Amino acid sequence: MKHESAIREPLIIGNKSLHDITEDIAKPIETSANKWWWSLFVVSVVAMLWGFGCIFYTIGTGIGVWGLNNTIGWAWDITNFVWWVGIGHAGTLISAVLLLFRQKWRLSINRSYEAMTIFAVIQAAIFPGIHMGRIWVAYFVLPIPNQFGSLWVNFNSPLLWDVFAISTYFTVSLVFWYMGLIPDFAMIRDRAVKPVFKKAQNFKEKISNFIKEKTSRYNIYSILSFGWSGRAKHWQRHEVMSLVLAGLATPLVLSVHSIVSMDFATSVIPGWHTTIFPPYFVAGAIFSGFAMVQTLLLVMRKVVNMESYITIQHIEMMNIIIMVTGSIVGIAYITELFIAWYSGVEYEQYAFLNRATGPYWWAYWAMMTCNVISPQLMWFKKLRTSIVFTFILSIFVNIGMWFERFVIIVTSLHRDFLPSSWSMFSPTFVDIGIFIGTMGFFMVLFLLYSRTFPVIAQAELKTILKSSGDNYKKKKK
Amino acid sequence: MYIFTKNTQIICLSLIMIGLIAIGYGFYSASKTHYSDDEIKEKVKSISYNLASTKNSQDINKAKYDSHHGSKKHKFSDLFHAVEKELHCHFSEEEIASAESIDDVIYITKHYFHAKKQRPWSSLFASNLFFLMISLAGLVWLAVQYISQSGWSASLLRIPQAVSAFLPYGGIIMLFIIITGALHWHHTFHWMDSSLTYEYVVEESMQTDHPIYTNEKGDGIISNANYDYIIAGKTAYLNIPFFILRAIIYLLGWCLAAFLLRKFSLKEDLEGGVKWHNKMFTVSAIFIVFAAVTTSTAAWDWIMSIDTHWFSTLFGWYSFASFFVSACAVIAIITIHLKYKGYLENVNENHMHDFGRYLLAFSIFWTYLWFAQYMLIWYANIPEEVTYYQIRFESYHILIIIALILNFLNPMLLIQDRDAKRLKGQVLFVAILILIGHFIDVFVMVMPGTVGTHWHLGFVEIGTFLGYLGFFTFVVLRSLSSVPLDQKNHPMLIESKHHHI
Amino acid sequence: MSKEKVIYGLYDDDDIILDAVKAIREKGHHIDEVYSPFPIHGLDHAMGLKHSRIAITSFIYGCIGASCALLMFWYMMIYDWPMIIGGKPNFTLNENLPAFIPITFEMTVFFASHLMVITFLIRCGLYPGSSSTSPDPRTTDDKFLMEIHVDEDAKKVKKIKDLMKKTGAIEIKEKE
Repeated sequence: MKHESAIREPLIIGNKSLHDITEDIAKPIETSANKWWWSLFVVSVVAMLWGFGCIFYTIGTGIGVWGLNNTIGWAWDITNFVWWVGIGHAGTLISAVLLLFRQKWRLSINRSYEAMTIFAVIQAAIFPGIHMGRIWVAYFVLPIPNQFGSLWVNFNSPLLWDVFAISTYFTVSLVFWYMGLIPDFAMIRDRAVKPVFKKAQNFKEKISNFIKEKTSRYNIYSILSFGWSGRAKHWQRHEVMSLVLAGLATPLVLSVHSIVSMDFATSVIPGWHTTIFPPYFVAGAIFSGFAMVQTLLLVMRKVVNMESYITIQHIEMMNIIIMVTGSIVGIAYITELFIAWYSGVEYEQYAFLNRATGPYWWAYWAMMTCNVISPQLMWFKKLRTSIVFTFILSIFVNIGMWFERFVIIVTSLHRDFLPSSWSMFSPTFVDIGIFIGTMGFFMVLFLLYSRTFPVIAQAELKTILKSSGDNYKKKKK
Repeated sequence: MYIFTKNTQIICLSLIMIGLIAIGYGFYSASKTHYSDDEIKEKVKSISYNLASTKNSQDINKAKYDSHHGSKKHKFSDLFHAVEKELHCHFSEEEIASAESIDDVIYITKHYFHAKKQRPWSSLFASNLFFLMISLAGLVWLAVQYISQSGWSASLLRIPQAVSAFLPYGGIIMLFIIITGALHWHHTFHWMDSSLTYEYVVEESMQTDHPIYTNEKGDGIISNANYDYIIAGKTAYLNIPFFILRAIIYLLGWCLAAFLLRKFSLKEDLEGGVKWHNKMFTVSAIFIVFAAVTTSTAAWDWIMSIDTHWFSTLFGWYSFASFFVSACAVIAIITIHLKYKGYLENVNENHMHDFGRYLLAFSIFWTYLWFAQYMLIWYANIPEEVTYYQIRFESYHILIIIALILNFLNPMLLIQDRDAKRLKGQVLFVAILILIGHFIDVFVMVMPGTVGTHWHLGFVEIGTFLGYLGFFTFVVLRSLSSVPLDQKNHPMLIESKHHHI
Repeated sequence: MSKEKVIYGLYDDDDIILDAVKAIREKGHHIDEVYSPFPIHGLDHAMGLKHSRIAITSFIYGCIGASCALLMFWYMMIYDWPMIIGGKPNFTLNENLPAFIPITFEMTVFFASHLMVITFLIRCGLYPGSSSTSPDPRTTDDKFLMEIHVDEDAKKVKKIKDLMKKTGAIEIKEKE
């Protein structure tokens, strides 16, 4: 780590010392929020509450309140599910893969990636949950015998694979994230002042002292940090454990989005059954995850003053990955189209012709423009280092990836084998409301996170200060 | 500077000799025991006639014996056995069970001899494809090091450069195989047979050696019994001129990238500075884009089109994963070889650790793609797709199991552990097994579509593989010995030297 | 038995403390602990700590997870209530294995990661409510603390203190 090539750009700018890093990262937690934060928070809470209202309406009335019909049995719900799961995949994959490949630039952003992962998976899990209709019997998906005899769950079903995959993914990501957070919580704890109280005179004061003590920053972060004290042996174990967790998480991420794709690909529906789906969904997930994280980080680095740590170089690196994964996704689209023609199977051929020229042509071409063409602009260094352009493009990619799932799901279903049952889909206000609600919920979680958690993995970041900090690099030259 | 010693040269040359003998023997034995279609027809008919005259008397007793023992003996099994004896051939149980008439017996016998004639070509094709694509994947590996700005590998980049030196040699043989296929010397790509792609045939020309096929109806034109509408639907892509043109484009593009990357890195040695490094970065980025498309299309052309009816969207990525792991294994093997010889003083167990990771990660990735393709086709069970795996799981299951053990369990168990990844000997052992495993994988990709169930992994195939191994090693090591082994001015050399995990 | 003394040396740079650890160990003293705000590369080796075996436990847990998964499929789908679903007969485990592999993999990862993390927390004595044992709160910020236990022997204590001073310690403290 010590010997770094001179041609690498510094990753930490602004002449930071170790103590400066501590100060900068603790600052958002120790100060109160500004009005930008509050206004975003209020908007998000309103959206979230609106979404919750729609969810309660759905559960109370039934999923007939959505725009589904007999032909199109899956539409916005599963589109949103796959979209959120896709976003939720980038985080752990990025931090795990980049850890295995020892890409140092990951250190400033991996914490927020992983946070985004966890929050996005929570949004994703809402959709299959409410799609069950009777959510109170959701425990039927667990491998427990039912009450009428020992009839078990069907392990042949990709939907059950999803249950196992997503719950494993969620818990493992959570643990991976939390284990990284422990030393940083300890840092916040050690900066907080242990509250000292006057001796309580009466019962009321006793109660108030008790509450004050328990809710003091010191006490909360002390509990969160699990008593971490930074011993050498603990650090050694921690490093090995992080590496093994990364090694486990990498194939796990691949498997989870592959299993999501198998919900479609194991079927015999033209447009769904193609073997490229598993790796292509994974590439798409990284693509959309990076786009979402760009959107969030570009705002966050401004709001909590992290420009020294999330530099233009970080943004450029992420843009390059967006470009690469966008191209992979593009190759997959073209492969699908070509093989559909090459197969000589008329149903396959029609399914793809219908996507591009049928009644949903606009969705297909929105997807193509946003996902394949627009990331190619990143070949220009000027554009990929421009913050405004990056922000706009990341939103384009988010939209494009939503359309990708919509195209796969709705256009493959809406014209099935019987022309008499061909149909179109139009969403109701409930469909839209729930989607907006999940975006609000996601933002609420992320905003809370950005004020209460150390948003950068400061302990890890300190390890590269000497090799990648601008002041240290200059000295060496 | 690496010195290509006499001893190593002799080993390579003797491997090449073995290969030449094996290929020569393969062609010799295929032509010696070959019967033309008409000969087979005559022979089978006469055998069947002879059999019928001697069999009548024994038939009744035999039938009793069979029914008593409950064996379901097929009515043509005697004929098959007689043909086997007379013409020195061999039939599987399934083939014997599938025959329903004398014509079927003739058809199956013909099939056997076609496969026999095809066998040396298929083995040549499989070995050539394997080493050509390893060479390409080695070049991709090199380009990936540049575009990902990897520091650790900076002191061993001459090795992937040398691996890519095999590209023109393998490329020329590939073109030779394609062109001879177009001349109908062999049937590796059976869609090249024009009798399959035309709907009609001129009746008069049918008895001649070269029937005239057409797509237009007219006087004296009858419908073509061999017409295959699925293959005919693919002629816009699978036709001989376009096929050869594509092959030339791929090979020229790859060779150009290999040439430029080598030239620039030699220039960098002389002149220094980051100028050449940045140029190589640009070349690598453009090459990766080109390779991303052409590795898929080359896999469709050269491998997937062998089983012409079959299609799989994943196929290009899956087969490239196979070649990429093999290239990692080859680069690791050469590095370890050089290390044993006392070269590459900057390379230590930390670099081994990285090779171990590469091998493990991409072996898992290959297994993932293998499983994804297999499981989806198995699960959906659609006839037009599932036939691909049917023949493989019926006749090639031993090879598939061996390949999965060598390509997945082997790295999983042997280099999972951190300390194991840092041992030269262990990484070498695993890499060699992976190389063998992936050759078997390529063998299973190529053979079922060309020689069907009559496959062998005998002297011809193994000899050809060994010959290619010698050829490849010779080309690569000679290329390695012609330039200084250590780069002088790579800007990340310092990171590679002090690389520590 | 004589009373034990604890000497703390505070450093402000990771390279300096790494060299200090090496120098002090060379003189034959045992270093009991180093508290640092981030992992120092090569420190465990310099202090003479053994390799962590936590990765091996993870491998074992993974094997247990895979076996549990296979046992579960066998019991639920083959032994207890076999059914033909979607043309896939559940009569033997291997006939239907491709459909079982995804969950087998998930269970392997689930067991391997969670049980490993639990092992880590137990071995390090970390749990919610446990309080920090670091003698100086600055060690989670930018300072590094070396801890050496010695018998109450003024000469030896002095020797170690001098060594610490020489190797760049900015603060040296002593505790009974």
